[in-house]
Amino acid sequence: MKVSIDVKRFDPEKTNENNWVQNYKMDIHPSSTVLDALIHVREEIDGTLGLRCACRASICGSCGMRVNGKAKLVCKTRIEELAEEGETLLIEPMGNQPVIKDLIVDISAFFAKMTQITPFLQPDEFPKQGEFIASNDSMEKLLTEMNCIMCGLCVSECTILEVDDTFIGPAALAKASRFVYDPRDSQTTDRLNFLNDEQGGIWDCTRCMQCVDVCPKDVAPMDRIMDLRETAIEIGTKKTHGYDHTNSFEKSVVAHGRLDESRLALESAGIFNIPRLLDLIPVGLRALIKGKLPPLFPHKAEDNKKIKEIAKKIKEME
Amino acid sequence: MYDHDLLIVGAGLAGLRCAVEAQKLGLKVAVITKVHPVRSHSNAAQGGINAPLTDRGDDWKGHALDTIKGSDYLADQDAVEIMSREAGEAVLELERMGVIFSRGDDGKLGTRRFGGQKVARTFFVGAITGSALLHVLYEQSLKLGLQVYEEWFVTSLIKHEGAVRGVVALDLKTGELESITAKSVVIAAGGAGRVFEPSTNALICTGDGLSLAWNNGAGLMDMEMIQYHPTTLARTGILLSEAARGEGAYLLNSEGDRFMKKYAPDYMELASRDVVSRSEQTEINEGRGIDGNVLLDLRHLGKEFIETRLGYLQEVSVEFLGIDMAEKPVPIRPGMHYIMGGVKTDVDGETGVPGLYAAGECANVSVHGANRLGANSLLDTVVFGRRSAEKASEYVKTVTNDIIPTEKYVKRDLELIKNIMDADGKYKVAEVRNKMATAMTKGIGVFRDQESMEYAKKIVDQTKIDYRDSIRIQNKGKVYNTDLLFALELGNMIDCAESIVHGALTRKESRGAHFRTDIPGRNDEEWLKHTLIYKSLEGEITVKTPDVTITDWEPIERVY
Amino acid sequence: MKYAFYPGCVARGGTPELLSSSMAVLKELNIEVEELTKAGCTGAGVLQEKNPLLGDTINVRTLAMAEEKKLNIMTLCSTCQGVLSQANYKVKKDPEYLKKINALIKDEGYNYKGTTEVKHLLWILVEDYGLGKLKTHLKKELSNLKFAPFYGCYMVRPSEALGFDEKPERQNYLEQVIESVGATAIDFPGKFSCCGFPVLFINQKNSLKMVSNQTGSAKDLGADAMVTPCPLCHLNLDGYQGKARSNNRGDKADLPIIHMPQMIALAMGLETKDIGLGRHIVSPKEVLNKI
Repeated sequence: MKVSIDVKRFDPEKTNENNWVQNYKMDIHPSSTVLDALIHVREEIDGTLGLRCACRASICGSCGMRVNGKAKLVCKTRIEELAEEGETLLIEPMGNQPVIKDLIVDISAFFAKMTQITPFLQPDEFPKQGEFIASNDSMEKLLTEMNCIMCGLCVSECTILEVDDTFIGPAALAKASRFVYDPRDSQTTDRLNFLNDEQGGIWDCTRCMQCVDVCPKDVAPMDRIMDLRETAIEIGTKKTHGYDHTNSFEKSVVAHGRLDESRLALESAGIFNIPRLLDLIPVGLRALIKGKLPPLFPHKAEDNKKIKEIAKKIKEME
Repeated sequence: MYDHDLLIVGAGLAGLRCAVEAQKLGLKVAVITKVHPVRSHSNAAQGGINAPLTDRGDDWKGHALDTIKGSDYLADQDAVEIMSREAGEAVLELERMGVIFSRGDDGKLGTRRFGGQKVARTFFVGAITGSALLHVLYEQSLKLGLQVYEEWFVTSLIKHEGAVRGVVALDLKTGELESITAKSVVIAAGGAGRVFEPSTNALICTGDGLSLAWNNGAGLMDMEMIQYHPTTLARTGILLSEAARGEGAYLLNSEGDRFMKKYAPDYMELASRDVVSRSEQTEINEGRGIDGNVLLDLRHLGKEFIETRLGYLQEVSVEFLGIDMAEKPVPIRPGMHYIMGGVKTDVDGETGVPGLYAAGECANVSVHGANRLGANSLLDTVVFGRRSAEKASEYVKTVTNDIIPTEKYVKRDLELIKNIMDADGKYKVAEVRNKMATAMTKGIGVFRDQESMEYAKKIVDQTKIDYRDSIRIQNKGKVYNTDLLFALELGNMIDCAESIVHGALTRKESRGAHFRTDIPGRNDEEWLKHTLIYKSLEGEITVKTPDVTITDWEPIERVY
Repeated sequence: MKYAFYPGCVARGGTPELLSSSMAVLKELNIEVEELTKAGCTGAGVLQEKNPLLGDTINVRTLAMAEEKKLNIMTLCSTCQGVLSQANYKVKKDPEYLKKINALIKDEGYNYKGTTEVKHLLWILVEDYGLGKLKTHLKKELSNLKFAPFYGCYMVRPSEALGFDEKPERQNYLEQVIESVGATAIDFPGKFSCCGFPVLFINQKNSLKMVSNQTGSAKDLGADAMVTPCPLCHLNLDGYQGKARSNNRGDKADLPIIHMPQMIALAMGLETKDIGLGRHIVSPKEVLNKI
């Protein structure tokens, strides 16, 4: 199979003209992966190409990069699924991480975020003999996160990390969930309080699902973050804007069956939070002028008390 | 002043377990690794870790016997006793560090069966046990604030006045060569799968540790013992864990027969790996294979079971071959996987060279002898990784502060690198490596004989010459020069290949994984011995054959 | 062609121009809709953070309502599309969970069997109605207009819930519709990006940066306007563009944001008041001048 790849290159040892796109053409096995192609380049065509790879079996996490703009683990990305024979693939380094050379990025920030969330088990006391007793169910639930190979694809595509590097990020937050839900860990409340913090914690995720989409191991980091939000609310962590937002939403839907947007805006800002409320005024005024202000008396769904009943039933189930 | 008390080369399971222990013992420790710790090849181990737990009626002697029988009686039984005795605590330690081992209904650690054992004593995390253990040890290293020289490649050991006192290493990020001094060094740099082609091993498994130790006076023992894993995926050679067979999968030939009943009627698919690999290869050679493979059948296990207990295997099968294991059998064949051989150590990791220790796959205590049981490698790494730390911590107290003239060692390696960078031969590094690795698989395969082994030796000898005279590298830069790195690794691989070939030609019998079709029987009278190979500074090779240590288990015929 | 209609909360609240332009287009194309007036808010992913079961139940109830009428659902909002599709996908994959939810809605007489399909108007136009047929209704020339497509996260992720395995072309429909009405669809790298709306009330700084990045880069690439099938994206990209651009790029809100049905209505030459461009915060005057 004829393969053509364009690789975004960067040579830190050059002072000018140090980044360019280089094309490589080759004829390799039809079931080849993108990594097979890159290794072929490195071994047979151009020994200056820099990339990280090791296991070739999607377990070491080394070979994350962007293929045609989307982050992938290239050892398990088959060329024939992305390109017709002769069609050129674009290969670039992962995003949101500084490029050191060619397809090699600086992963130190990625691992530094891990350290932020106290990434080790913190039991109260160890069993006098033998192992901690824990149900198989509880261990199997943690398998989802344990499958994380720290490849960095989620971080590469995270929309919030693109604009805010104080965000703890999908990989580290998913890793945090592994400890929050481990029955042997005794610091659950402290962990949740930390993750619940306004700056950079679980509430900063914009729910764009990029991390869920690109994760090669089905860890679904965003879903783990949502789990954490639910649990943080359950145990009564400090109220944040994020909490106010989802709480107001729920109240609205239960009361009217539909969303009361004005109330949502006010309650998310915080009804005693004067600066934030004042902030809403210009937007509100503009909306009023343009006839876009949501009705003062929110519209309801027809027969909306049925929804109230469902909500009540669910509450009783818990 | 030394930079460290203990410097560990390699951040896989053995290296990190050693580091964590050494840190707890108050040593000034650092780990030096050519890849980030979680990229180490330990993460590829899938199936589980063995341990006899007495509280459920298992007996360490049962595990020891299985291990010794599995080794075809080449294992040193005093070492096996220690590993079997300490296994239970080693596994419990890991659980307490936070490993999410699978559980039984009683909430205690659960087990699965594994090859060469009738008792189910393999503790596991899905089909990602190695990765789960490695990540937890990495977490512990973060907790303890372990210093890591990340992405540094050790080019040589510093041997000063007969003792190993540090390393010279290349910082891959900058291309600068530096010396790091330490009162002692533990080599835990893993195996050498890349000496063969194909192999289940990662591209980074280039026998660096074996070569470093060998070139500094340590002996390499039983190097001819190369494990071919029975179930590696067709075409790509990716490992499919023995756990599949442990959980009940069948091996079928082209006639749909469970052919293991011919070769191992008692243990069937769970006979020792060398027996299973030879059986598969025989079926294939005799025309009952399919395109050079046989079939691994999991259909009867059911989709849900497969996806929970063997999830990673399903992922590999679907992603790389497009086969759903619950619907169709998977084509597999024997693939080079592990080296039982390695740096000779005693039960505390001592190599006999002062200041130099070894642990993990690169070491040979010997607990695996002529064939390793599945799930014993993870055990080996944590038990002997820990023991090396303990021994080294005593040793370093005896090392008086010294001034090591590091400049001359750095200068020596700068020369070496310059020679490689300036070389203008006609071969690319990959070409040379591929030729040698293919020949090694051909010559030192599942079955071998005098002719095939001499063929391998011939190619290795030629490779040494080509490496010295005829390579060239394209990348002349400093930052992440992988071209240079591969050339340095190739040097290490050639050392390994040379020792393997010597060991293979030395042992004139068949035992475990070393199966000679020209001398098919086991010869305990003359060959209940190890092959032990030394290389002098001038490159001269000497072979010794020390006796195997027998304690309670007299060698008998090995039948599965 | 008839559909069960689910316009969503915002189409009646913050973006009434979306509803008016959509109804005008549907009338012109003779597509009949019957509104599910009893249906509750999908939750937009926000409700699901606190009470996922309530969110899924309300959505399955909506799906059951349509199933009863033997109609597929038409949505006007990427977020409604995504959230309803995810609920649908979840219960189809997990019969136990569906049983649990059906038990909660059986009092009202609903029992969802899993046969309802949820389709955004964008998909309906391409898959069910046909772009060829759509073209026959066009009256105005949009050929000197360049639009940047902006799908909205919930319309393009996660792929399994949105049927991309069978219909990967759904990731290209917006460009196809833009081209059908005669305009040029810019190759906009941010077309699948996030507008920042979900964190608007939580971390306004980040949200505005995102608005600035998306609208700024589209403008830099020469777009006359951005076209989006999601009113929540519209609220952020239109309503907050001024503040976002001035805080982050030091320039002005100069990229009009147009709802997808508005674009079609413009090309069809429908009534100005129905199209509702006057309600936008960022003036679409420049765009109108080019038609």
